[in-house]
Amino acid sequence: MSKVSASGLFTISVVAALLGALPAPAAEPVKIGILLPLTGNAAAAGQASKAAEEIGAEIVNGKHPELANLPLAASEGLPGLGGAKLDLVFVDHQGNPSLAQQLATRLITQDKVHALLGAYQSSCSFTATAVAERYGIPFLVGDSAALNITGRGFKWVFRSTPIASDYAATYMRFFDDMKKQGRRIAAIAVVNENTDYGTSVADSIEAEAKRSNVAVAIRIPYSASSTDVSAQVLQLKEKQPDVVIFISYTSDSILYMKSMKNLDYLPPMVIGDDTGFSDPSFIPAVSDIAQGAMNRSAWDIGKPGSTTYKINEMYKAKTGRDLDDTSGRNMQGFLALAEAINRAGSTDPEKIRLALSKTDLKPEQLMMGYNGLKFDDTGQNILASTYLIQLKDKQYQLVWPANAAAAKLDWPMAGWKH
Amino acid sequence: MLLLQVIVGGLLLGAIYALFSSGLTLIWGMMNFINFAHGEFVMLGMYVALLVVIWLGGGPAAFGFAAAFALFMLGIAVYLSLIRHVMRGPMLAQILSTFGLALLLRYTAFWIFSANFVSLPQSALSGTLNVAGILMPVPQLVAGLAAIVLTIALHLLLTCTTVGSQLLAVAEDRSAAMLMGIRPDRMQALAWGLAAASAGIAGALMAMSYPWSPSVGETFGLTAFVVVTLGGFGSVPGALYAGLIIGLIQALSAYLLGPIYKDIVVYALFAALLWLRPQGLMGKA
Amino acid sequence: MKWGVLVGLALALLFYPFIFTGPFYWDIGVTFLLAAISASAWNIVGGYAGQVSVGHSMFFGIGAYVPLLFYQLWRLPPVLGAPAAIAVALLLAAAIGMPTFRLRGHYFSMATIAIAELIRIFVGTWDLVGAAIGLQGPAVGRAWWDLTFRSELPYYYIFLGVLVVVLGTTFAVTRSRFGFYLRAIKADERAARSLGVPVRAMKLKALMLSGFFTSIAGSLYSIKTGFIDPESGNIKTLKVYPAIAASNASETNVALAQGGGLA
Repeated sequence: MSKVSASGLFTISVVAALLGALPAPAAEPVKIGILLPLTGNAAAAGQASKAAEEIGAEIVNGKHPELANLPLAASEGLPGLGGAKLDLVFVDHQGNPSLAQQLATRLITQDKVHALLGAYQSSCSFTATAVAERYGIPFLVGDSAALNITGRGFKWVFRSTPIASDYAATYMRFFDDMKKQGRRIAAIAVVNENTDYGTSVADSIEAEAKRSNVAVAIRIPYSASSTDVSAQVLQLKEKQPDVVIFISYTSDSILYMKSMKNLDYLPPMVIGDDTGFSDPSFIPAVSDIAQGAMNRSAWDIGKPGSTTYKINEMYKAKTGRDLDDTSGRNMQGFLALAEAINRAGSTDPEKIRLALSKTDLKPEQLMMGYNGLKFDDTGQNILASTYLIQLKDKQYQLVWPANAAAAKLDWPMAGWKH
Repeated sequence: MLLLQVIVGGLLLGAIYALFSSGLTLIWGMMNFINFAHGEFVMLGMYVALLVVIWLGGGPAAFGFAAAFALFMLGIAVYLSLIRHVMRGPMLAQILSTFGLALLLRYTAFWIFSANFVSLPQSALSGTLNVAGILMPVPQLVAGLAAIVLTIALHLLLTCTTVGSQLLAVAEDRSAAMLMGIRPDRMQALAWGLAAASAGIAGALMAMSYPWSPSVGETFGLTAFVVVTLGGFGSVPGALYAGLIIGLIQALSAYLLGPIYKDIVVYALFAALLWLRPQGLMGKA
Repeated sequence: MKWGVLVGLALALLFYPFIFTGPFYWDIGVTFLLAAISASAWNIVGGYAGQVSVGHSMFFGIGAYVPLLFYQLWRLPPVLGAPAAIAVALLLAAAIGMPTFRLRGHYFSMATIAIAELIRIFVGTWDLVGAAIGLQGPAVGRAWWDLTFRSELPYYYIFLGVLVVVLGTTFAVTRSRFGFYLRAIKADERAARSLGVPVRAMKLKALMLSGFFTSIAGSLYSIKTGFIDPESGNIKTLKVYPAIAASNASETNVALAQGGGLA
């Protein structure tokens, strides 16, 4: 090497060392890893949640004084960490639990995220949260329903969304109310698609029904990809339950409604457990034959001028659609995580975990209709709850509980007879 | 009464099974070749129907013909490009080739149409007929009857026309057929075209009543195997009876035992058949 | 000259984790090894004996479920369940093989699909094995024998060890009379039978050996992932078969097929 280039190299090294030694800029961003199915058959839901979480980040990172009741909306970034911004790292697990495990490991060890959020499918949440527990990084589950995600004695896993048992309890409370109003609820039927989602919710409903002395006339697990469901509808027609609860994905929900019309079977009331009944293609496909069908949602757009309405407008501007319940729950989980990190005042995992465990948000501080946000020692939000909505014309309207209702509950449902 | 309703529903769906299985049995009988991609042909027929409705606003006759034509061409293309070469290879290659084809068709459909379930927008055929207390939705009724007619038509084509005799000749003894001046290559290509076309029309007929996505091909393929095994490979009348029987068994199992069990019963029946009577009802041993 | 390739490949696999460092690359390596083990196991009955099984996921599934079931029911370390899984897999192989191997080739393949589907649906409704929700293993290991390592590195070398055993067995089979019989059966079954080869017994033996190793692959998968449900089993093994198409009955080709298995 010639003398000239050697000294050049030396100079460059010195400059580089000096630059490296400069103090880092204040308030390094807080990194949050988010696991979602961005491709595969849950891609639509994954993409919707991604958009919702990005809006959530915008709300926290930017100045949004018009959303005053949400913590962290008015300020820019996280005040507790010197205005640090939130940096989201999205990964696509494609609905594969092994891949979710792999990606969670990568997020923690390579991307060095400070917290994790996810993961839609319960199977993926199972494996990803196990990784978080092993490495000691907080994981907030915004949407997965399987009971055992928070039942394994983990200390690093929290869940903000209501779970299957919450939904079952809500339905039983509703039936109780209906009975008090003189409606007949002697027996119900539960029709569920048979993967982990449908099975957990149906199991919970059966357990709660037993506790509340509501008879389950028949339980029909079926495969969501079934071509033909007429035999199932005929089974229902034979049993004549007072309420049929459907725990279904989109195409099967639509298929059931159409088959019921074809076979001229209309129960007094149909309740859809979100998912299929909330999909954007449900209403256009069957609104004329499913009038009065009920559904659940913890999300209500609300009146113009309200915080929820404004959030929906932001979401609509980004995606062209209204915010749906699942994405809303994920966004709420995200905001709760941000609030806890802010309270922790640090990116140290143990401090964040402690802050999460002490979370106590009041209903006015939330965008979803929960009764609050408070985690018990298994990490589950014990104040999670849901509304019941009903299809009137081409829209769902909030009909229960009475104190939040925006419209009157029609019973029995009109179906196609209107 | 309800049981009769279940039976009618099962038979109507079974007729459609018969239609697409008749194509599979034809290929199997002719060339001793199992087409693992047959279910995908049905699935593609459904998408052709969708495209015809969306792009041309056509009705059932239009998309029925379109599906038949499109899949006929695809069947011939598959034969000429793939099957003809693989036939000379080891069994491993034969099985894997159509298996690979199935994956190719399925994932191409995933790529083009996405994994969401789709269904045809409301068509001219709607409403339900009430015949002596049995409710029959018009699309399903039309589909079932059309399927039976087409299957019988295929059988007549094979047994009563010159072309049919040529096809059957190649199936029976390829070398002898060649000696008679029949070109086996052409006949086999034709068989593949017919088989794919029947699968395609069956798909289009089903599309009138049921939603689907690229993943439904797998289940239909398996159903076709069961029907063909029950009916006896090579026999189109066998496929007709077997299709109706399987449709019936499925519907009855779903009603009496529960929807999950309908598939278990059918596959268990299949396993039992393989063990006890692999040549089926009407097949050659 | 073939030895050179083999030695090079062996060294590459041995030192891979030190060339590509970091948990992400290690995990890819682990996935690759798992695919290689599954592919080699399948190849015993599919490639060597010419009996194409399209339902091998059932052996993988058994291997994956039984260890986690041992943990779920009796809180035992999952690895203790692996031998039990092998036993069940062997029973299943015998049960399928005996009736179907007396039929011609196609029927065996179709039987494997039907039975694999049957098992998948059945497992999805059986509460003991978690039905649709599936089973989980210990998330945080109680002791080293739970095999819940934080790092991927131990898994990599365990899997590599198993792969070596599978390939070694395959190699030994090729050189043995058993392998000779299998090749004869694949080439022309009728001729082999006429020469006195116990065709059914040999095919059955091949299926059982294949099921043995596939079950081990399944156990490795569920021990590493800590989770299994009816859907997981299908994703892995379905991709393995096309890779086999490239191989015929030779070790180096199998290794190349395994490379394809990763993709």
